[in-house]
Amino acid sequence: MPLLDILEYPDPRLLTVAQPVDVVDDDLRALIDDMAETMYAAPGVGLAATQVNVHVRLVIVDVSETRDQLQVFINPEILERDGEQSCEEGCLSVPGIYDTVTRAARIKVRALGRDGVPFEIEAEEMLAVCLQHEFDHLEGKVFVDYLSRLKQSRIRTRLEKRARRR
Amino acid sequence: MALPSELRPDQRGIARADALALHLQYGAAAQAVARVLGGESFEGARSAAFNTLADPRARSGARSFAFATLRAYGAAPALLERLLHRPITDQVLLALLQVALTDLRANPQHAHTLVDQAVHAAMGLGRGAARGLVNAVLRNYLRHRETLEAAIADIPAVQYRHPDWWIRRVRAAWPDDWQAVLRVADLPPPLTIRVNLRHGSRDAYQARLAALGLGSRVLGDAALAVEPAVPVDQLPGFAQGWCSVQDAGAQRAAALLGVRPGERVLDACAAPGGKTTHLLELGATSLVALERDPLRAARVSENLDRVGLPAQVIVGDATQPATWWDGRRFDAILADVPCTASGVVRRHPDIKWLRQPGDPGRFAREQQAILRALWSVLAPGGRMLYVTCSIFPEENRERIDAFMAQRPEAVRLPLDDIPGGQLLPTADHDGFFYALIGKPA
Repeated sequence: MPLLDILEYPDPRLLTVAQPVDVVDDDLRALIDDMAETMYAAPGVGLAATQVNVHVRLVIVDVSETRDQLQVFINPEILERDGEQSCEEGCLSVPGIYDTVTRAARIKVRALGRDGVPFEIEAEEMLAVCLQHEFDHLEGKVFVDYLSRLKQSRIRTRLEKRARRR
Repeated sequence: MALPSELRPDQRGIARADALALHLQYGAAAQAVARVLGGESFEGARSAAFNTLADPRARSGARSFAFATLRAYGAAPALLERLLHRPITDQVLLALLQVALTDLRANPQHAHTLVDQAVHAAMGLGRGAARGLVNAVLRNYLRHRETLEAAIADIPAVQYRHPDWWIRRVRAAWPDDWQAVLRVADLPPPLTIRVNLRHGSRDAYQARLAALGLGSRVLGDAALAVEPAVPVDQLPGFAQGWCSVQDAGAQRAAALLGVRPGERVLDACAAPGGKTTHLLELGATSLVALERDPLRAARVSENLDRVGLPAQVIVGDATQPATWWDGRRFDAILADVPCTASGVVRRHPDIKWLRQPGDPGRFAREQQAILRALWSVLAPGGRMLYVTCSIFPEENRERIDAFMAQRPEAVRLPLDDIPGGQLLPTADHDGFFYALIGKPA
């Protein structure tokens, strides 16, 4: 199965707002499989379709230590947010950069699963952080956007330099 | 999202997980099973199918998946019959679905991972076009699992995990034991070794194993089950012939023939040489090992080298003594004849896929020819032990009865603790048939 290319900040395509998924079919599941392989190989704990330049509302995560608990969220909505937590985050689209972001401590999410069947879950800790991080991608948002202007411009310069060297 | 470095999963761990990835093991298992579906033996199929796996643990995993699939026999095909709209002609794809279904049935709690890995495996096998099919079939199984399992539960090939004709024959031959016999074929066999009593006693060897932290259980005069099993190179003195790998049932053969020093002994159909070396360890001094297949004869020579005892290895056909016999008769003959191997299915689950209903009869003709030919080179006053690793009477009792009817001078000698000569398979040993026939002086 092919590994997909991951868009890197500040690629403007990361700013795209993703479209809802109409049908959960085998084509979409094939994309999920490819994304899962890409995420595990990276390695990452979450990946949004936006990051592989497919602009549909699809997110996959796996925050398990055993790396065998893939979760799929299609057309996700955050129904409830509660509390606050700060966590150091990184992003496969912003390689090598880690910084602290404050997000809701607990969230309630509704989405469709891999089968197209709707489900609801409540997430906290790492899973809550990861889901909020990935759902942001679907809105064209990257975790860097939460940082100060100064940090943003430093990160941008650093990644642009690295992109030119390649 | 990526984890900060201090939380990131160990990189070496990831690399190891890649080499051990389940989908690679599924893929290799499917290739081996496909070759068995195509009529090849698993031993032959495995080396070709598994050489893509670099890590020995991945090879062992693939072997377990293939074995589980071959052992289960009827279940996956019965499920696929209900899950597929039209039959699949691609044997590799078919085998992959069987491997994945077998694993899903055993581990439904990991359904998501297993389906995902099966789809990966389809890609790895160049069956990318079928990944939707693999996904759909496996998910349909999960969706309708209870209904499907209920629908196939009473099918004999599912319940007893052997072909219908095989079940019928075992049932007819062993009306009291047939279910136990069929069930034993599903058990993982022990690693049984034969201690070479020339190098020390069985109990001394057991103590040597214990000193290395290896557990063992006594199964016979020289037989120990090493539990849990270890690679043979970890067995003390294996390369020097202090022990050999041999099932406890097979270890009965050399003692039943009972060789004495100075006797001229023939081991017909000798490969791979397990019984040949045993005869030598028990004191045979003049032994001819006959084997029809030159490659397999080389394995007999290797085993003799390992044990360090001499025998004359001859490549020749037991049914044609004129082509290899020097004219000197033998005092004792071990006739371990080719057979269906229906008594060793737990070690070779491919057998129940490969054998056809006509096979016992086909083997019977060859067995009869070997008995007749070897009788002609047996010295008056000598004895011949007929051995099969089968549980079908056509190859066993019926062969001996037919032979005795043709050779009225032959005498059937008693085997005290194996009444009738049939050792049915149990958890501790494989299934064998023994008959000792004497030639009057």
